[in-house]
Amino acid sequence: MTAIAAKPAAGSIMNPAAMAVGVVLLIILLAIAYVVSPTLGLMALIGVVIGGVMIGFGVHFVPVGGAPAAMGQAPGIATGVAMLAAGAGLAGLFGGAWAAEQGLVIAVITGGVGGGLMMAITCMMVNFVYVFGMGIPAASGKVLKDPITGDSQPEYKSQGTEGHGLPFISFVGGVIGGVLGGAGGTLIYIELLDLYKATLPTMMGVTAAQALPIAISVAGIFAIGLFLVNAVLTAYNITGTIEGPHDPKFKRWPRAIVASAVASALCGLAAILIVTI
Amino acid sequence: MTVKVEVIEGGVPHPKIMIAGLVCTIVCLYLSYLNVYTNTAMFSFFGGLAVVAALIWGSNTIKVLCSYGIGTGVPSAGMIAFGSGVIAMLLATKFGIAAPIVALVLAAVIGLILGYLANDVLNMKIPVMIQSLTELSIVGALTLMGFAVLITGSFTFTGLSSGTVTLFGALTLPSYQVSFIGGGLTAVAFLLGAIAVQHPFNACLGPGWKQDRMLMLTAECGFLSMIVASVMSFALINAASAIISLIIALIGWVYTYNEYIVLSKRDAAAWLDSKPIPDVEGH
Repeated sequence: MTAIAAKPAAGSIMNPAAMAVGVVLLIILLAIAYVVSPTLGLMALIGVVIGGVMIGFGVHFVPVGGAPAAMGQAPGIATGVAMLAAGAGLAGLFGGAWAAEQGLVIAVITGGVGGGLMMAITCMMVNFVYVFGMGIPAASGKVLKDPITGDSQPEYKSQGTEGHGLPFISFVGGVIGGVLGGAGGTLIYIELLDLYKATLPTMMGVTAAQALPIAISVAGIFAIGLFLVNAVLTAYNITGTIEGPHDPKFKRWPRAIVASAVASALCGLAAILIVTI
Repeated sequence: MTVKVEVIEGGVPHPKIMIAGLVCTIVCLYLSYLNVYTNTAMFSFFGGLAVVAALIWGSNTIKVLCSYGIGTGVPSAGMIAFGSGVIAMLLATKFGIAAPIVALVLAAVIGLILGYLANDVLNMKIPVMIQSLTELSIVGALTLMGFAVLITGSFTFTGLSSGTVTLFGALTLPSYQVSFIGGGLTAVAFLLGAIAVQHPFNACLGPGWKQDRMLMLTAECGFLSMIVASVMSFALINAASAIISLIIALIGWVYTYNEYIVLSKRDAAAWLDSKPIPDVEGH
């Protein structure tokens, strides 16, 4: 047995003590931000935490198939969470960054549309390859009927597999996940960009126009870093693969919310400290 | 309960690699400070050597972590390493000469908390999770700092965020766009490092895994990234210094590539030097 075949035995049980520690950590981190920068910094950090939680929650919707999906033995898109989330999130981030000057709401919505569009195209092309390339129908192995269309699944499922292709519910889940991920990534970017635009010129002793490239680059790279941290933590939560919102693993989301909130608060605090110390 | 599926047989023990990697990286980063004393950028190549040392350590850490079958694929480990590392590294650059040490401490704190979140909140229950994520976060931060030194010759926030533009060959103007951070080179360094740290184990895993072959591939990936980064450094440091970095990177890459091929042939079950398909006459 190789390392690829093994799956960790992490169950769906919650760990209440660790969750409580996580919430306490979150409050401590927010308190540090309040002490360091009561208005601008704290607001930015709250935005970052909300964005991080959206990413963490959104990843649960995306049908991640991993290596089994590449062989047509499990439903989902045939790659890992890190790649899929990075694709959807960065597509959303690019979309949102274009609209950054139009204000927070429009930028975040644009980011969501960018991420959702990227996932919709990916899901469609994946089904194209599965159906016309590999010659397999879309069937879920986790539910008897598709929760949205009501189509029955087991008749189309090949023996010895967990299902294959992307059933309609997985497709919808992928788009929802892309929207949440793209919007979350853009929210982090915009919050940090506003903070840096306000503080960097005085900190570096230059004009606002001169500091703009630095503000954009630092906010962008922090948004990417935060995005990947949240996506990988969520990937650990679902142990690598998930079919979509109908998968029993989806019920593990409360753990990911706590983990994403703490991780975003931690990394966001570092991003705020760079302009306040 | 987790079953460890692939024990580490033979090879150098992990703590030894960790200590050697950490010491080499920190020493190389500080050797680049000779730039400031000599007022040149000649010693920027030490940043590249720091990158290679940190990557070798990180690659072995990924081996230790991913032997447990975390289920998310090896690349995710490289991504979380650099995602948390870039945050620690950018904050650390604010601390002047103490930057490498501060990056080490900050990355350790961030990695420790992320490890706790993964292991306890998300219930992964993998014995090496906390230690591995701490190490990977440090590797990410120090690798990025190494790339920053290689490209700009400096690891301070001022050095990384400001550059100069020369107009008409004589007029020199300060510019914040021509810099490591302002020019977006951080993102390039991010992926150069993230791919170099996860690829070797991803490529070498399996029943025939051998530590020396994987680490040689890591060094090869590190020098390959160093070639790219030293080409980028032509934009930010003087040509002579960039050429020194490029030559060192090329020598390192050719050597490690040849060594890796030798090791691959050694470990191959049967290796046959097949010639190209011969041109059969009469067709």
